[in-house]
Amino acid sequence: MDPTTAAASGAAPAASPEVFQQLGQITRQLHDTLNHLGVMPKLRQSAEGLPDARSRLSYIAKKTGEAADKVLNAVDLAKQDHADISAAARKLAAAVAADKLSAGASAAAVLAFVSQVEAASGRMDQHLTDIMMAQDFHDLTGQVVAKVVALAIDLEDSLVKLLVQAAPSELAPEPPSGELNGPVVNPEGRTDVVSNQSEVDDLLASMGF
Amino acid sequence: MSDLSQMKFLVVDDFSTMRRIVRGLLKEMGMNHVDEAEDGAIALHMVKNNKYDFVVSDINMPNMNGFDLLKAIKADPDLKSIPVLMVTAEARKEDIVLAVQSGAAGYIVKPFTKATLEDKVIKIMQKRAAGG
Repeated sequence: MDPTTAAASGAAPAASPEVFQQLGQITRQLHDTLNHLGVMPKLRQSAEGLPDARSRLSYIAKKTGEAADKVLNAVDLAKQDHADISAAARKLAAAVAADKLSAGASAAAVLAFVSQVEAASGRMDQHLTDIMMAQDFHDLTGQVVAKVVALAIDLEDSLVKLLVQAAPSELAPEPPSGELNGPVVNPEGRTDVVSNQSEVDDLLASMGF
Repeated sequence: MSDLSQMKFLVVDDFSTMRRIVRGLLKEMGMNHVDEAEDGAIALHMVKNNKYDFVVSDINMPNMNGFDLLKAIKADPDLKSIPVLMVTAEARKEDIVLAVQSGAAGYIVKPFTKATLEDKVIKIMQKRAAGG
């Protein structure tokens, strides 16, 4: 049956051996990649599609980028505070060493320096807290990475089945009910999810909580 | 309200980074006794064998998730008075409702701020001290 006849009769045209060879190569590459990632033993189904994987990867890039910016900004501010304290300490030490200060002036200079150190110390503590909080991206992106890896495993499984059966495989199954979803990567336009803590609090308040 | 510095906290999360963040924030708030568990099953074992005053738990975890941990704690007469604050990336409204119906003392969505965690912990402890 030529392709035209096959199309006219509604039957799927037979794929050439080259197609299956290419599919085999793709499957092998995916298999090797997953082996390198060390995730082969845990085959899991994924109901997510490739477009969703793309948005999840974008979410990871966004979160890691934001975290890097937060950390670098906090480090810049902390380093500036540190430099200011160092400069003030050197200035005070030089004045004391040169014996240019009277007793009263010396005490005032020391007190001013201590006050400056205390204020800078408080700011640096806040910068360190900000740096610590910025690491929350690891948890959020880790959950998303797990989803994408599960999708890759599912995809590999589907390709293997396709090769074995030499026929179009079924598409990814529906997600099991009750599955936890992890971070919402695209909350825009959705009414079934909250996008911030304020919405959580509003929902809880509406329940009299 | 109880002296927060003397209270025993248990932080439950499968991501060590998040456990360290929550523990660090609780310590900044003055809580000196903070233990960690990496999933609900380990947490339940710890809660049964130690006297904890407060549990901060993730939801999406292997072995036993946060919902099952919450239900197990609330079903145990010896444990049910322990407040359980959910801190999770699960943002579906049905999850929030389910958590509250299962006995959660509060619900925080990730990412969150130090101020949010502090506010929730203090309000929960105030409510508990008032007999709520």
